[in-house]
Amino acid sequence: MTEPVAPAWATATPAVADGPPPIVPALQLDHVSRWYGNVVAVNDVSFALGPGVTGLLGPNGAGKSTLLHLMSGLLRPSAGTVMVRGRTAWRDPAIYRDIGLVPEKEAVHPYLTGYEFALLNAQLQGVADPKAAARKAIETVDLVDAADRPTATYSKGMRQRAKLAGALVHEPTVLLLDEPFNGMDPRQRLHMMDLLRAMAAAGRTILFSSHILEEVERLADSILVVHDGRLAAAGDYRSIRRLMTDRPHTFRVRSTDDRRLAAALIADPAVFGAELLDGRLSVSTSDYAAFTHALPRLAAAAGITLHEVAPTNDSLESVFSYLVRR
Amino acid sequence: MSAFGPLVRVTLRGLMGRRRLLLMVLLVALPVALALLVRLAGGGRNDASPILDNLIVRTVLPLVALVLGTAALGSEIDDGTIVHLLVKPIARHWIIIATAVVAAGLTALLVVPSVVLTGLLVSGTGSTSLHTTFAFAVAVLLGGTAYTTAFLALSTVTSRALVIGLVYTLIWEGVLSGLLEGTKFLSIRQATLGVAAALGGARPGLQPLEPAISFVILIVVTAGALLIATRQLARFEVRGGD
Repeated sequence: MTEPVAPAWATATPAVADGPPPIVPALQLDHVSRWYGNVVAVNDVSFALGPGVTGLLGPNGAGKSTLLHLMSGLLRPSAGTVMVRGRTAWRDPAIYRDIGLVPEKEAVHPYLTGYEFALLNAQLQGVADPKAAARKAIETVDLVDAADRPTATYSKGMRQRAKLAGALVHEPTVLLLDEPFNGMDPRQRLHMMDLLRAMAAAGRTILFSSHILEEVERLADSILVVHDGRLAAAGDYRSIRRLMTDRPHTFRVRSTDDRRLAAALIADPAVFGAELLDGRLSVSTSDYAAFTHALPRLAAAAGITLHEVAPTNDSLESVFSYLVRR
Repeated sequence: MSAFGPLVRVTLRGLMGRRRLLLMVLLVALPVALALLVRLAGGGRNDASPILDNLIVRTVLPLVALVLGTAALGSEIDDGTIVHLLVKPIARHWIIIATAVVAAGLTALLVVPSVVLTGLLVSGTGSTSLHTTFAFAVAVLLGGTAYTTAFLALSTVTSRALVIGLVYTLIWEGVLSGLLEGTKFLSIRQATLGVAAALGGARPGLQPLEPAISFVILIVVTAGALLIATRQLARFEVRGGD
């Protein structure tokens, strides 16, 4: 796989002149690079994002935070353009009506309480009823009990939630979160995941960076994988996995007669390996689509009933490992 | 501009940290305490201008303005909380103006009463004395604004604003502007003394700058600093991250 996979909606046919207006992506990067002297932090990255939750994945130092800072207008691209809802992100404060940002750095004004911090954000956003907006945001992030304590006394997870409350007060359509689950306990993580899923279901565009694959796998509809400043892949990770034709797919199969099924499968050109280990049938194939079509046909022809067909190396972890190691 | 009030309040809360405030109060109380001692020792004099210049214009005013001017925005830049102000739909000049108003206002609030009390304690309430004290109070108000905005702008340019500001105050203004005539035009202190002299607070033995030049210097420094700070903030880029 050499080219990143674009999300399906972004490659939709453009609308005709008298049809509905063309869709403006919530976030769009066009050949964006950012370098510091001789060091290239982000290298020729292009993608577009619409509503849904997208996970930004990459090893430490891959360029995740740089990308998020570019998208939030806090860094000038050295080349290319970053657009937020059709507006250039760099040096245009008006984009912040659409954006909510949760930066990775924990810094929150230590002398403000959680509620005061949310209220400050609401007032600076110019929302109609800042007090009500601040209260709602505090409730949304489950910080009511600690709302009147100075943020200096907060734990790391509480500060993360305070920052999220500050980013939500104006109900942005685009939410950028840099390692948002850092410091949160399992209950808070689940709460945050539910919240982000609900926001995405309501039509918001949510992009969050993480180096914890399990979080991304559980929450994200699609992923962006960055490695050494380059976009290694974009889209649904299962689709990305299917494009890795140089890496065999393996399936665990359970049936009424695994031995006979193995013999039938090994004759199929899509299958290049079948073995019985500890009473379990493991099948290797280089062609995901051909195999998944052939398997039920071959089983039916042999009079065998399939009980279970499960891919064993289609996890996000295996996709990620492949992308960052090749 | 509905965000101006919240910007002022959050800057004020940030600057009113207990330790910093205590240090500033002690600093501005020092000339008053010395004047009180002079008064109690019977050493009152007719002209307070040398004391107001040496103790306040030369020392207390630039130090207070330096601490408040560099901390107003500089501390937010250093600890990263500036990001929360920047990711808002607010024109950058409003952030700078609000910050400058608070820093300059606090500087005036601390230093002007110090001038008035010191002047009254040293030279009493005679009409000439009151005139001199009033002249220095106004000059310190204008000079403090110029100092504060200059140091505020410096904090948007470099993370070493405090050190550079200290070098400017102690070396440039304290030593060079007294030795080299031409450097007077680049000295906020000299312009402050020029304003004081224009209002009737001339210090004997000193050749102050022309009143018009002094006012122009303070206005140019203040306006220029606000412009530079706004430009810097508009081009501000976050540091760190991967």
